[in-house]
Amino acid sequence: MAKDFDLNNSKLGGQNRIRLLAIIFCAFFLMIALQLGKLTLLHKFETSVSELGHRDLPLPRPDIVDRNGVVMATDIAVSSLYSDPRKITDIDEAVELLTATLPELDAKTLRGRLTQPGKAFVWLKRQASPEERDAVYNLGIPGVGYVNERKRVYPLGRLAAHTIGYVDVDTKGIAGIEKFLDDQGALYTASLGEPETQTSQPAQLSIDIRVQQAVTDEVAKAVVKFKAKSGGGIILDTETGEILALVSLPDYNPNAEDKRLTSDQQNRLTSGVFELGSVIKAVTFAMAFDYGTTSMTATYDARHPLIIGNARISDFHATRRMLTVPEVFTNSSNIGTARMAMQVGLEGHHEFLQRVGLLDRLVTEVPESARPLLPRIWNKLASATAAFGHGFAVQPLQGLSVVADLINGGMSVPPTFLKRTKEEAQVLAHRIVKPETSEKMRYLFRLNVTEGTAAKADVIGYRVGGKTGTAEKVINGHYSKDKSLATFIGAFPMESPKYAIFVMLDEPQALPETYGFSTAGWNAVPTAANIIERVAPLLGVMPKFTEDDLAKLAKQNKPEAKHG
Amino acid sequence: MLKVGNAFLVMTVLISAFFLYSLEHGTRGIERQIVKLKTGISDEREAIKLLNAEWSSLTRPDRLQHLAEEQLKLQPMKAGQVVTYADLANRIPAAAPVQLPSDGSDPIGSILEKMQ
Repeated sequence: MAKDFDLNNSKLGGQNRIRLLAIIFCAFFLMIALQLGKLTLLHKFETSVSELGHRDLPLPRPDIVDRNGVVMATDIAVSSLYSDPRKITDIDEAVELLTATLPELDAKTLRGRLTQPGKAFVWLKRQASPEERDAVYNLGIPGVGYVNERKRVYPLGRLAAHTIGYVDVDTKGIAGIEKFLDDQGALYTASLGEPETQTSQPAQLSIDIRVQQAVTDEVAKAVVKFKAKSGGGIILDTETGEILALVSLPDYNPNAEDKRLTSDQQNRLTSGVFELGSVIKAVTFAMAFDYGTTSMTATYDARHPLIIGNARISDFHATRRMLTVPEVFTNSSNIGTARMAMQVGLEGHHEFLQRVGLLDRLVTEVPESARPLLPRIWNKLASATAAFGHGFAVQPLQGLSVVADLINGGMSVPPTFLKRTKEEAQVLAHRIVKPETSEKMRYLFRLNVTEGTAAKADVIGYRVGGKTGTAEKVINGHYSKDKSLATFIGAFPMESPKYAIFVMLDEPQALPETYGFSTAGWNAVPTAANIIERVAPLLGVMPKFTEDDLAKLAKQNKPEAKHG
Repeated sequence: MLKVGNAFLVMTVLISAFFLYSLEHGTRGIERQIVKLKTGISDEREAIKLLNAEWSSLTRPDRLQHLAEEQLKLQPMKAGQVVTYADLANRIPAAAPVQLPSDGSDPIGSILEKMQ
């Protein structure tokens, strides 16, 4: 059959064959042409020129710098060495070479890990230095490789560790500003990025590390001297709300591998709440002035303890006489302050606390922030005790921020850990008390330092004002007689306060040189004075001297001159 | 005529092929150079970061304070020591408060010697 077919259609068959060949050739040429066109005209190279030269590093975290640009946290490139045991030809030789190059590896454990059956991936060393990486790479062991990683380092160590926070081994923020950069502040973080060069602008904080160091040093000395359990200090710019220093002791080393913090090491100034005691009286005074229920010349009966229901309010330094308003403040009279709050009334008191923000949780960039502990029932007793700072507990930072608002002219400025200009602060600010009220508060604060409980805060020349507080601590539901929290809130220069300061010592002990006293005036206040003396020149506060000041200075200098 | 035309076309093809090849070769070279430079830049950037961190660590205030307390006889500044520029002329002491070391002595050198 086939032969017949061939014979009968030989001519036709030949033509068809040529046609078929032609079609196949055309198709092949077309394919080649298309492929050529695709490769030369349309093909995109795997890596375009702009992407070339970039390492396989994860996107960098922004550096964290202080207000003057000092690096507080940065990423450095490290390499993590790994191996695929299945590809290693001679395990014994590999173990020998690796332990010789990386002395910290233990031969026995390494061998154990490399000989596990079925394992395809074993970390040899994470976060190795470039020298170690090159040394291991040059050994030329098959199945050993490295990946480039980033490691977060904190060059300042413990300084400002609570504000900066820290990251985990995968450089994810766990606490402090580091957590803010990943979570609520993600938009802010993105705004710092520069995709062009795969770099990032640094996140600039409001902290000034020189001030931070001065506060840390002085608070640490005070904690040792007064055998306190812990201590804290804050410096706040009253105009912009910037936090220049925030110290909570004991602190921790953010560079340590294992950062299991004890509860003592937490940032107690924002994540803890405390009954701040008498410093809160400043809020009550501002309230009474602002509502107009009292005046500088009004007097209050402090002759007998105040009885409300079956509770009894008495004074620590009992005066047993009629007190004028400034005297109530400088003697820190609980009775007088409670009477002032009672004049305002329950509604008004609650409304004022709400207005200044003491009833809400203070939220800043640092995520560790505690909710205030408020009295469960708002009655006459709760109001009277809240007037002098008992029965309600707030973050120390919140307490300082509110007092700063009362004396800066009456504008509430939310505190911040990020650098902020005056203009930005003005946009965020709103009025909480009248300027006249603020004026009176300044007078009282200064008076309390010149002739009141905070006399030891008077750093001559810097016009310091302040209010002390010694809050008895609640132990097992009762106010303890011998365990107290000593606090001081102050500001300088008092004629137009620019900086507010907070100092706190937890359970300070009485010393011979404090004549057996453990109240704030003997420990927290001198600490604050030491801090102010050190930081005021750094902050550019110009000292001014009155005649009295010069006389006092001359007296102080005389004995020194003999030594000199 | 046809031969001349064909020869011309062949020549053109050869020349343009050579030109194209050398152009591409050049581009490859430049690309390699770009890669090298970019790697260099990113290496430098990493090095700068490391040096910045080191600088920050070496100049951290607690370290400087410790060194100053150990090596220098300095005291914290008192408010009374701050003088404005305008007031400067009135505050010049009659006698020099610090006696400069005489020629030939080397105060920094002696500190270094003591450290060793």
